[in-house]
Amino acid sequence: MKSLLIIEAQKSPEFLERLLRVCRHRGFTVDSINAETANIKQSTHVTLTVCSDRDISLLTKQIEKIVGVTQVATLQQEQNIKATA
Amino acid sequence: MNGANFVVQALKEQNVSQVFGYPGGAIMPLYDALFDGGVNHLLCRHEQGAAMAAIGYARSTGKVGVCIATSGPGATNLITGLADALLDSVPIVAITGQVPTYLIGTDAFQEIDVLGLSLACTKHSFMVSSAEELGPIIEQAFEIASSGRPGPVLIDIPKDIQIGPSVTHHLAKLVKTEKSIDHKAIEQAKSMLQVAQKPLLYIGGGVGMAGAVKELRDLIKYSKIPSVCTLKAIGCVPHDSPFFMGMVGMHGSKASNLAIQECDLLIAVGARFDDRVTGKLDEFAENAKVIHLDIDTAEIDKLRQVTLSITDDLKKVLPAINTKLSITSWQKHIAKMKIDYANRYDHPGDPIFAPALLRQLAELMPANTVICSDVGQHQMWVAQHMFVDFPENHISSSGLGTMGFGVPAAVGAQVARPDNMVIAVSGDGSFMMNVQELGTIKRKQLPIKILLIDNQRLGMVRQWQKLFFNGRYSETVLTDNPDFVTLASAFDIPGESIKSKSQIDQALQRFLNSDGAYLLHVSISEEENVWPLVPPGAPNDKMMESVE
Ligand SMILES: Cc1ncc(C[n+]2csc(CCOP(=O)(O)OP(=O)(O)O)c2C)c(N)n1
Repeated sequence: MKSLLIIEAQKSPEFLERLLRVCRHRGFTVDSINAETANIKQSTHVTLTVCSDRDISLLTKQIEKIVGVTQVATLQQEQNIKATA
Repeated sequence: MNGANFVVQALKEQNVSQVFGYPGGAIMPLYDALFDGGVNHLLCRHEQGAAMAAIGYARSTGKVGVCIATSGPGATNLITGLADALLDSVPIVAITGQVPTYLIGTDAFQEIDVLGLSLACTKHSFMVSSAEELGPIIEQAFEIASSGRPGPVLIDIPKDIQIGPSVTHHLAKLVKTEKSIDHKAIEQAKSMLQVAQKPLLYIGGGVGMAGAVKELRDLIKYSKIPSVCTLKAIGCVPHDSPFFMGMVGMHGSKASNLAIQECDLLIAVGARFDDRVTGKLDEFAENAKVIHLDIDTAEIDKLRQVTLSITDDLKKVLPAINTKLSITSWQKHIAKMKIDYANRYDHPGDPIFAPALLRQLAELMPANTVICSDVGQHQMWVAQHMFVDFPENHISSSGLGTMGFGVPAAVGAQVARPDNMVIAVSGDGSFMMNVQELGTIKRKQLPIKILLIDNQRLGMVRQWQKLFFNGRYSETVLTDNPDFVTLASAFDIPGESIKSKSQIDQALQRFLNSDGAYLLHVSISEEENVWPLVPPGAPNDKMMESVE
C-alpha cells in the first residue's frame, strides 16, 4: 500500500537521514521525496510517498518520535493521493 | 572558562556527581577540566565498560548515567552500550570528543562520523557546532534522556569547541504541561476489568522506569489480580505475592505461560509484546481482549491490536484503574498452578545444580542486594530462581542480550550504591567479554561479589545446538578457559573454585562475608539446560520441559 506523508520539522543538518533511516528500518520503501527548507522559519517541509505491507500508523508514530518533528499528516491509499494531486 | 570547563559546570547543574569514561586525543580538554572540576570520574578499561557502568549506575538509581569517550575508536567502542540502553530504555548521556570543526569531513586522524553512527542506537543525538549551542544542547540531552520513554542521548563535541571560549547559558525553566488523564478510557478500563472472568497483568520494564512500583503493588494488593512479568520487570511484584507467577515467555514459568494463554483480559503495563515474551504472536493470549498502558504511543498496536490503550504516566494510570474484582475461581486456578508447577530443586548426585545454588544465594543475601547478570543460561536461571526487592536491584541486559554486560554494570551499580551489596552473576563466556573491568574493580577497590557459573561452554548456544541443530556443537566448547581464580588474583581479587554440593554452604558464607571483591567460581555440568523453553515459532503453551 502506498501512503503520502507530509512532515514538518525543525531544521537540522541530519534530519533527512533520521527520517529515511526510520522509514527503511520500519519496513517502508520511499518511492518519492521532496524536501524544502525555509530558512526564515528554520523549518524543513518534507513530502514523502512510501510503500509497505505494514500499516502506515506504524511508521507515522515512529516519525512523530523523532526529536524536532512538529507535524505529520498522512494520506493513505493510491486513489486518495491521485484525487488530491 | 573554556568549553570543556563549561561542560563540567553544566554536568554539575544537572546534578551529575559521577561519570564513567576513557580519555583520548579529541576529548583531552574535557579530561583536563575533569581533573579538578568537582565531578567524580571513574576510568573503566574499555569504552564499552564505561557505557555499561553508566547503565548499571542509571538502572540501580533511576538517575541519568553519563559516559565519556574520545573520537573514532573511543566512540565506536561505546556503540554496543548505547544500543543496550536504547533497547532497555535506560537514560544515558554519552559525550564524545570529535576532531576540530575545521577537520570534520577530511578523514582526519581518529575521525569517524559519530552522529551518523548514533542514529540507529540512540533516542537522539547532537553534534555541537558552536559554543552558543553547548549549553542548550546539554540541557536538552538530559531532558530527552530522562523524559517520556527514557533512552540514550549522544553529544559529539569537536575539540575546538572544548578549547574555545564558552558562552553563558542560563538553565531554561522547563514548563511541563501536565496532560489531564483520559477519564473515559479509565472508566472503560475499569468496566472491562470488572466484567472479566480471567484478567491478568502483564508487567513490563516501564513500571520501574516510571517509578510506579508502589502504585502497581497497591493495585495488586487491593484487586488481587493475578500477574506475570517480563525479564526487565523482575522485582516490581514481591516474589511471594499470592497470585504472581514470575516471568513469562521463552524461559518463563509454566504457570505464567499457561495463564497468558487462558486469560480473557490481558492488561499490558509498560510492556511491549517482545518476541521473547509472546512466542508465536498470533496465538499469544489468543482469547483475551487487551488493554495496553504505556507512555510510548508507538508501542500501541505495534505488534498486538488492542481493545483499549492509555498512553500516559503509569504513576497516574495505575491508581486510577484500581478496582475490586470478583474472580475467585480464576485466583484459585492460579494458586493451584503455582503449586503444581512450582520450581523444583531436587537434583541427583554431587555436581552443583545452578538453580538451587542461586535460590540459596537469594535467600542468604542481605536486603537490597543488587544482582547484575550477564547473558546466557545463567541469566535465565537468575531470572527464574533469584528474587530481589525492587526492579532497580535486578539489572540484566534484556532487550539487546549483551554478553559482557554483567561485570561493568555491577561496577556502575556499586559506585552508585556503595552501601548495598552488588553481586555480578556471569558465565565463562560472558565474563571474558569485559574481563578487563576487573582492573576497574581493583582501581576503585569495589567490593563486588562475582559468581561465575562455568560450564566450559557457550551454554545457551550449546543448548540450542543440542535441541535444534542435531547436537552439532559448532564453536561453543570452552574447555580451554583460563584458570579464573588465578586470573582474578592478578587483579588482587581473592576467590575460590567449587564443584560439589557439599562445598556450597561454606563457600557462600565466604563469598557474602568477604570485605572486598570476591570471585566464587562454580563448575557445573555442560549438560544442564534451561527449562521450560518455548521453542522458536511455537505458542507459549507448547513448552519443552526436558530434552526428551
Ligand atoms: C555480544 C554477544 N555475542 C554473542 C551472543 C550470543 N550468545 C547468547 S548466550 C551465549 C552464550 C553465553 O555463554 P556463557 O556466558 O558462558 O553463559 P551460559 O549460557 O553458559 O550460562 C552467546 C554466545 C550474545 N548474546 N552477545
